[in-house]
Amino acid sequence: MEKINDGIGAEAREYLTFRLGREEYGIDILKVQEIRGYEPPTRIANVPTFIKGVVNLRGTIVPIVDMRLRFNCANAQYDSFTVVIILNLHQRIVGIVVDSVSDVMGLMPEQLRSAPDIESVIDAESVIGLGSLGERMLILLDIEKLMSGVDMGLVTDAC
Amino acid sequence: MADVHHEGGGAGADFDLSQFYQIFFEEAGENLDLMEQMLLSLNLETADDEELNGIFRCAHSVKGGAATFGFTDVAELTHQMESLLDRLRRHELKPTSAMVDVLLESADASRGLLACHQNGNTADAPPTGELVKRIRMLVSGEAASGAPGPQLSPPPKPAPEVSVVVQPAVPSPAPVQTSIADGLRTLEIRMSHLDQPSQADAIVELFRDIPGLGDIQAITSSDMAADSRVFEVKTTSSNEDLLDLFAFHVSRDHVMITEKSGEPSAVGEHVAQPASLASGSVAAIASSFGFFDGAPGAPDGQPAHLAASSAGVSLPDTVEKSPRSGASKAPAVSSVQPEAATIRVAINKVDQLINLVGELVITQAMLAQNSRTLDPSVYQQLLSGLSDLDRNTRDLQESVMSIRMIPMSVVFSRFPRMLRDLAGKLGKKVDFVTLGEATELDKGLVEKITDPLTHLVRNSCDHGIELPGERVRAGKPETGTITLSAAHQGGSIVIEVRDDGKGMSREKILAKARERGLDVSDQAPDSEVWQLIFAPGFSTAEVVTDVSGRGVGMDVVKRNIASLNGTVDIESIEGQGMKVSVRLPLTLAIMDGMSVGVGDEVYILPLSSVVESFQVRSDAVSTVGQGAQLVKVRDEYMPVIELEKVFQVPRYGADKVSDIMVVIEAEGSRVVLLVDELLGQQQVVVKNLETNYRKVPNVSGATILGDGKVALILDTGALVRRSRH
Repeated sequence: MEKINDGIGAEAREYLTFRLGREEYGIDILKVQEIRGYEPPTRIANVPTFIKGVVNLRGTIVPIVDMRLRFNCANAQYDSFTVVIILNLHQRIVGIVVDSVSDVMGLMPEQLRSAPDIESVIDAESVIGLGSLGERMLILLDIEKLMSGVDMGLVTDAC
Repeated sequence: MADVHHEGGGAGADFDLSQFYQIFFEEAGENLDLMEQMLLSLNLETADDEELNGIFRCAHSVKGGAATFGFTDVAELTHQMESLLDRLRRHELKPTSAMVDVLLESADASRGLLACHQNGNTADAPPTGELVKRIRMLVSGEAASGAPGPQLSPPPKPAPEVSVVVQPAVPSPAPVQTSIADGLRTLEIRMSHLDQPSQADAIVELFRDIPGLGDIQAITSSDMAADSRVFEVKTTSSNEDLLDLFAFHVSRDHVMITEKSGEPSAVGEHVAQPASLASGSVAAIASSFGFFDGAPGAPDGQPAHLAASSAGVSLPDTVEKSPRSGASKAPAVSSVQPEAATIRVAINKVDQLINLVGELVITQAMLAQNSRTLDPSVYQQLLSGLSDLDRNTRDLQESVMSIRMIPMSVVFSRFPRMLRDLAGKLGKKVDFVTLGEATELDKGLVEKITDPLTHLVRNSCDHGIELPGERVRAGKPETGTITLSAAHQGGSIVIEVRDDGKGMSREKILAKARERGLDVSDQAPDSEVWQLIFAPGFSTAEVVTDVSGRGVGMDVVKRNIASLNGTVDIESIEGQGMKVSVRLPLTLAIMDGMSVGVGDEVYILPLSSVVESFQVRSDAVSTVGQGAQLVKVRDEYMPVIELEKVFQVPRYGADKVSDIMVVIEAEGSRVVLLVDELLGQQQVVVKNLETNYRKVPNVSGATILGDGKVALILDTGALVRRSRH
């Protein structure tokens, strides 16, 4: 299982791609449970702004993280096109808010570039690499690592 | 309703076993079914120890339960079965099909008896004397040879061709000649050495009640013994059938049937008699009389067998099934065979069901909301359908929710007896009081909390409560009191075991801890000291004698409760008693909640901690040190907590202010919450926030409201603690 996270493997791997502002990101399709429209979550007090709160997903309480706020996007509007990707990570279910979901793409190993060291709000460890698709650049995220980071505030520090 | 007082100690007589009857009946039924299955699949030649032990265990369990609950007839029968099985499993006897037959019949009879007990209708209980006797015979090895039991065939037979051939061991496929007589015969039936001659008179009623059985006339003569009865009977039934019938009143040992000479006995006629008539008459008797279960004398002497054999139908080689089918017919007629009253279902199926119903409720709420704008005159049918749906989904939800919840009384009710026995053994006098028995708890939790609680209660009695003399010297009433209570509190269930015994000695625990090399300081607060007894290994016999012995297995108790995400707290005052509080989270517990509105948000308060609510006048609130607010409620100043501030509720309109106060009580203190409005009360399903997220301060969980939105449940305990600091 952990091999999946290695990212740069021998075979083509499928990624769900989504947009945050003008940037395009890709995450392992196998981590995605479903895609839903955005519905206002129940706010939780005293949490980082990018944690929008919790919603009811068929009887399960699921926290919602707005990736746009997490990645400092200029504007984060909530309208009928706003999309929530429900992820299943390590038995935990988390929803992330993105601007839009674009595609599911298979990327061959030769299409992957390792990410250069850059200053960014994203922990370099959470970036698997960059995928080049002609003109487009895909930022491939290790969503599991990203979400379990302490600064995400999704898990208690002890975990 | 919630507070039930049980007197344990001295009396304990009002302890009601009957609530366990149902469990026993279910278990016994399952055991009997299992035994039957194993018997049927038992290969006589190659029966291994494992199988025989399994069957033995089933009989043993049923016997044990029956004896406990005082069903002596069942216990007696199963005891006999057990003895037979015991000899089998020890290889003192070789299993024969006769044994299997009789065991199967006994299982049926036990079932019948249990059914009668269950219905409280013991009058109809099938007699088991015959079976018991047959099993005894098999145990003693008499019938193992395959020879018919001598007492089974009525001794004198004037008509030799009307012979009863009973083959208990070898169910031969050859047609068995039976004494199914077709012609009218006149018989003299002599019953002697009766224990209760009056029972024999009931036979007369038999003939009156069963149409077509024949006529009976009592014959009295001067030389007759007082314990005998003689009847003259005109009947078409066979001797065997008559004996079977009489067996309900008079043991067949005491019955002697002789055919009156001079009457023509139908020679050979019965052989040609169609089997249908024979079986028909037997069936008629069976149905009109009501039961045949367990009554048939010979192992093969059952109606179905007689019919089958006389009709020349060859019996299958594996005969285990056939007597079963024959016998099972009877109880169906006699009493309504108890349907399996419960089914066992995997918990995850129930959970799935609960989730699905939750979804349904939300969908329904959404439909209801969307249909609100529709014109009732146009969509009348749709709207009435929706209102039906509303009601049905709510009922459905309620029923589904209740599947998992069981009241604490299930756990509590086993303690009075235990305490009574224990107190008796220790020579102590203990009153047992239970509170909050109706508190419902998830079944999974109930099962897991039973052992730790048993331990705590036993400890209280064993080490807490002093001997009567000691208590009197200490100026306490002779009889100690152990109180067991359960309540929902602050999103948890709190179960307390309280006693007014001698409590724990701080010094001794500290000394003991040092002795064991634990690092403790004399200044440690009490609560820390008490926690020491949870240390593994603190539970030795020494501790029992030195430190009023609270250590026995306390580490196990703590571990068990911790595994349920619970906590254990101890309060103790030396010489006055101690209290152990077990706090468990309500993983799936349903809770009565009060929803309150703050700004645009809804929060749920556990109703159990809500004391009262009122509208506040601004002059009633005073401040301390320009910050903390206090409100005076009936001569008591209470700290005010503004939910708006605690939860940083955004305000969009400046005009609205919180002016409703809700007094809540948790952990022994009261605080006042300031909210905007009270929205109502409802049952809520407590959902864990930590499953996918994390612990949120001041929040014990979340729930899903009717409109599908998530509402947070306030942790009143945390709010109260917050006001203390």
